[in-house]
Amino acid sequence: MNKDTMERTDLAGMSANSPHGAETRLLLDAVTHTYGDGEAVLTVLDGLSLAVSAGELVAVVGPSGSGKSTFLSIAGALLTPTRGAVAVGGRDLAGLNPRRLADLRLRQIGFIFQGANLLPYLKVEEQLRLVAKLGGADKAQTARRASELLERLGLSERRRYYPDKLSGGERQRVAIARALMNDPSVILADEPTASLDADRGRDVTRLLAERVKAEGKAGVIVTHDERILPYCDRVLRLESGKLRQE
Amino acid sequence: MFLALREIRFSRTRYVLIVTIMLLVSFLVLFVTGLANGLGSATSSAVRSMKADHFAVQKDSDDRFARSQLHAQQVEDARAIVGADSAEPLGVQMTTVTKDGQSGKIDIALFGAEAGSWLMPETVEGGALDASETGDVVVDRDLADSGVGIGDTIVDGTTGLKWRVNGFIENNSYSHMPAVWMNAADWASYRSELMAARGGEPDTAFNAIALRSSGSRANELAASLTDADIITKAQAISAIPGHKAEQSSLLMMIVFLYIISAFVLAVFFYVITIQKTSQFGILKAIGARTAYLAGSVAGQVLVLSAGSLALSVALVLVMKEMLPAAMPFALSGGTILLSCALFLGVALLGGLVSIVKVARTDALDAIGRAGA
Repeated sequence: MNKDTMERTDLAGMSANSPHGAETRLLLDAVTHTYGDGEAVLTVLDGLSLAVSAGELVAVVGPSGSGKSTFLSIAGALLTPTRGAVAVGGRDLAGLNPRRLADLRLRQIGFIFQGANLLPYLKVEEQLRLVAKLGGADKAQTARRASELLERLGLSERRRYYPDKLSGGERQRVAIARALMNDPSVILADEPTASLDADRGRDVTRLLAERVKAEGKAGVIVTHDERILPYCDRVLRLESGKLRQE
Repeated sequence: MFLALREIRFSRTRYVLIVTIMLLVSFLVLFVTGLANGLGSATSSAVRSMKADHFAVQKDSDDRFARSQLHAQQVEDARAIVGADSAEPLGVQMTTVTKDGQSGKIDIALFGAEAGSWLMPETVEGGALDASETGDVVVDRDLADSGVGIGDTIVDGTTGLKWRVNGFIENNSYSHMPAVWMNAADWASYRSELMAARGGEPDTAFNAIALRSSGSRANELAASLTDADIITKAQAISAIPGHKAEQSSLLMMIVFLYIISAFVLAVFFYVITIQKTSQFGILKAIGARTAYLAGSVAGQVLVLSAGSLALSVALVLVMKEMLPAAMPFALSGGTILLSCALFLGVALLGGLVSIVKVARTDALDAIGRAGA
């Protein structure tokens, strides 16, 4: 499916600019999410709002159980919130069916997960080719984009390696390249440094921040790794279902 | 196929093992199928190759030629209804002969029919039977293995009648015995001698009437012909002694092999799919559609089964060349194709459980997971 065939419904107020003056790429507006029903209702997110603009990297921190995963799932179009609106790349997610949501994730959202990120049986270059192929990109363009990204992330030497031959840091760099491959509006990272030592963690975050700025993405890192916070433009704490500026 | 092929390339050992198992099972399927066909042909090729589609047999003969007796009058009646050139009398008798001057006995199936009629099998070597000549027979080429050649004389053990071998026919056996065809006149004299030898009244009865007619004509005939049943060719074949028993036990083996291969594949792919659940979660999270992932699993099943089928077909064809003549084996291109198609279908059925599992995997699994 083509991007252009999707309905473009600009939410009222979504064109509102962020503090930095750039275009808002990810917007969560008064998002509430509850689990269970009847007597035992657990409210995980309670009227959470967030706007991330192009070229901005935001860190979301918080103790375990504070709803970071739920927040990320909703921002990543994997979970529909109980109430509130979500817009990715200026497009409202309300009312999209699962197939359209999958297409939107493919083209508009780049994910970086904690672990089990890469497919063990694909070489580095093929990891990138897969997402481009899923997105229906043409071959020449795919090859150009892949080699550019691998170059930028210092992985050119590793393009024909399987993930099990890479270091942990290299693996997360491949994940960053894969997340960027389809030129999405938003990059979402779920504890990307959890399995890395301090130096490599910083390295990976620095590269991520650099790409987010250079390519004008809206970046969100969910983390509890304090050492990487200096690379982020804003640090938000998730507490009692809301985001608070640190 | 992008994922399917690359995963096979990466986990070579694992997939070589499953291909080996599939290869052995599909080889066994093809081999037993060939054996079933070979045995089927050894018991029935004489009847199968007849250009008739129905047969008239005596009532209460259980469709068996050997138990049936029909007389010249019934042949006349049948010809009056279906037309003179669509009904031919057929005599069938199993007997033992020796080659003239030798003592080794050979079991044969003796067939009697009008020389030159459509019922008579084609001679592939030597001369055909001539209605004006008596004492000539054409015999199945299997008799050559017993030392019988063209021009030799064979002697019937019961009646002492002698026949000269005029030519060879091919693929013509009945109940594992080579067929020997003779002229109707010779059949009549053999039949009277046989009855006399058994101490009965000499008669010149036939065993059946071979018919070339449509189903409706056959029904009409069944209604008007006295003391006779009209049976199809398939009924006649399955009534051949031993045919049904052989075929049904082999068929059961084949069916079980298909079931086994479906299960082996189902278990293999299910275990692999469960191991990969988190990968499928991640793929779904980054936007792969369920249909794409299901297609990838189905693609793997197809590639692996097609690969093992290709190998086992090659193996079976080699095996076929090496088998001794005493082991009847027949596998036509059509049967191979049919077996392969069936095998692929069964394999896909086995992969279905995994596809359902893939469809049920939730993209949300990808979030908040530390390990693989």
